Amino acid sequence: MDFEPKILGIACNWCTYTGADLAGTTRLKYPQNLRMVRVMCSSRINPSFVFRAFQLGADGVLIGGCHPGDCHYGTGNMYARRRLAITKKILEFAGLEPGRFRVEWISASEGNRFAEVVTEFTAAVKGLGPQTKLKVSHDG
Amino acid sequence: MLKKIEQGKLSELVTALIDQGPLYAPVRDDRGVNFQSIRSPLAVTLDFYNSVLSPKAVFFPQSEDLISYRLGRGEPTAKTTPLPTAQTILLGVRPPDAYSFFLMDELFLGSGIVDPYWQSRRDLTVVIGYPFINQTPDAVDFYSSLGISATDTRGSDIFLIKKNGELLFKGLTEKGNALLAKQAALFTEATGDDEQYYLAALAQGAAIVTRNLDCDPKRTASKLENLFADTAFWEQMAAACISCGTCTFVCPTCHCFDIADENIFRDGARRRFWDACMFTDFTLEASGHNPRSRVYQRLRQKVCHKYSYYIRNFGVISCVGCGRCTRSCPVNIDIFTIIAEAMKK
Amino acid sequence: MTAFKEIEKKLIQQAKELLERGEVAQVIAYGRGYDDQHPMPYVAKTVADADNLVFNEFCTFNLVGYLMRCPPGIKVAIVVKGADSRAVVQLIQEAKLRREDLVLLGIPASGMVDQKTGKIIDAQTTGGQINPVLCDYLLGEEKYGRTESPYQVLKPLEVMGKDDRWQFWQNELSRCLRCFACRKACPMCYCDPCFMDQSRPRWADKSPTAEGSIMYHLTRFYHLAGRCIDCGNCSRSCPVDIPLYLFHKKLAQDCEEMFGQAAGMRIEDKPVMVDFRVEDTDEMLK
Repeated sequence: MDFEPKILGIACNWCTYTGADLAGTTRLKYPQNLRMVRVMCSSRINPSFVFRAFQLGADGVLIGGCHPGDCHYGTGNMYARRRLAITKKILEFAGLEPGRFRVEWISASEGNRFAEVVTEFTAAVKGLGPQTKLKVSHDG
Repeated sequence: MLKKIEQGKLSELVTALIDQGPLYAPVRDDRGVNFQSIRSPLAVTLDFYNSVLSPKAVFFPQSEDLISYRLGRGEPTAKTTPLPTAQTILLGVRPPDAYSFFLMDELFLGSGIVDPYWQSRRDLTVVIGYPFINQTPDAVDFYSSLGISATDTRGSDIFLIKKNGELLFKGLTEKGNALLAKQAALFTEATGDDEQYYLAALAQGAAIVTRNLDCDPKRTASKLENLFADTAFWEQMAAACISCGTCTFVCPTCHCFDIADENIFRDGARRRFWDACMFTDFTLEASGHNPRSRVYQRLRQKVCHKYSYYIRNFGVISCVGCGRCTRSCPVNIDIFTIIAEAMKK
Repeated sequence: MTAFKEIEKKLIQQAKELLERGEVAQVIAYGRGYDDQHPMPYVAKTVADADNLVFNEFCTFNLVGYLMRCPPGIKVAIVVKGADSRAVVQLIQEAKLRREDLVLLGIPASGMVDQKTGKIIDAQTTGGQINPVLCDYLLGEEKYGRTESPYQVLKPLEVMGKDDRWQFWQNELSRCLRCFACRKACPMCYCDPCFMDQSRPRWADKSPTAEGSIMYHLTRFYHLAGRCIDCGNCSRSCPVDIPLYLFHKKLAQDCEEMFGQAAGMRIEDKPVMVDFRVEDTDEMLK
């Protein structure tokens, strides 16, 4: 049976989420594996969300926010960049496959790019197979 | 009865025993010695003073599922976890720790409600005690002060003693003798010489005396009751305490627990697990009020529970002087000192 | 007289002076424990109390966490070794301590010994900071010279494949008893309530499940990123000897590389995780 990864996407309202909308209204095709959660700003993201997502069985986590300099709230994504960089380092040092966690800056007008990124990330995660390290499994 | 095996044959004995049921014994790794469920016979060690964590987890696991359940679509299902049924052996327990099982029996069996989980494990387990014979007591141990001897038989079903490349096993209770009889094929009969050696070793061990603490139960309970309101005393005793929970978790007689329903998605369990009165939120109420919000209040609770309240409830001090709390405390708080200071007041 | 004995003598004298002239309400230092090899944190409130102060190679516990119990506006003196002084600086950066409330008794301590293992404590298990970065009175001679990198010890883990590394951390972190000695010993863990004490959201189960322990530790490593001053309190306090310092060091190294700043070095710094620079680039996300 073909493995279909479960990917959690967390996107900021003003840029990436709107960009995703644009991809939708322009009928761009991209894989259905991404489950999207909307936050008002990428700086809302608590690194524990990412750890939790992997524990709950996510095979990949994709974070989307405004380009640094273009944050709706001015500087939110500047803090988020540092936070998510450390989050990435934690996951790597813990031994999780680096390709499972990605951060991309995608603006509201970049519908194409959104579709590209999701397509590429989904394929990459698919290639890595199911995430088993952090995933919590219970027998029966 | 008295049986023996060659020390070199210990792993064979262990192999045979683990074939028949769970065996818990001391295992050494680069961190120290702790009791573990044995899978590899070579892992067992008898070269140690005492374990870092107490063996109470054999009867009172740190985490225990009481009911497992599945929620979600349709009828939720729940299944009571069956009580254990496997005959178990606990090998290598020092007398103060074996005696701690007796102390905990007072609470888990003798306080009006019987704890079926504790009871079933106690009934199913044969305790092979490992008395102190010619070890110098660790400087922080004080079990002698509590009326516990280095060769105390209370709590043990069998005693294990080393003798010149051999291991002697002495049945102390019906349960212990029954195990030795059942497993007769694994042992050889002891000789008269072995009997003599056993008695001499026991006498030698009984002469071991630890540092001394004045802690007659009635007087100690009284004194601590009178000291309850002496905030300055308790603040001084608790000045260094960081209120972690390490002492509670290594202690053979601490037994507070919490019960919670824990699940990931739909599968979960109602679980019982160790709690600690030293935790900041131990007495935190839903309203937000915390009657023991200060460290000194929590330390006072811990000490008084062992040396005052337990005496009022069960007539005995709930401490066996094993020294673990002192050894593991990140700031070296010594309960011996606290009681000594209290008795001086 | 050994170096430690000299320091102890100076400490007692300085403490007496401070208490005598009423400059401080208390001196937070060390006193004798149940034996000479196991000193305890001790608070001297009177000149007579100061005679009970000790300082030796076993005075390893970072005392700065106790400052969080002192109300602001009351001046206290505290003994700080190298890393401890960095903790003070970090807490001043975070506005949890006020410089004017503190009299820092600095001790350049080298040759400290781990109470459990008897081994010398060096840059393998701590930051290797010998000289205090901030102090009011220096009670010993500062030591200079080449010290080994506090990140040298990370090499074996860094070259290990990710799967081996995962196995390593799984084995270590699942042994956690949830005694929370690490959290309580850490001067930086002052959150009330701690995320682990919250039931909404419930980040981890109360029972010591492996996944809960992993969530606890990975999150705490994150919370300490750019704040951990590598004192080793957490690792030494752990009753089951989980090498927490390895992960804290890794993130300290990452923060230095990515953000160009080490924790607790200068009062005027802003902690790296509540700051950003125009120089920051997306390179850090690769």
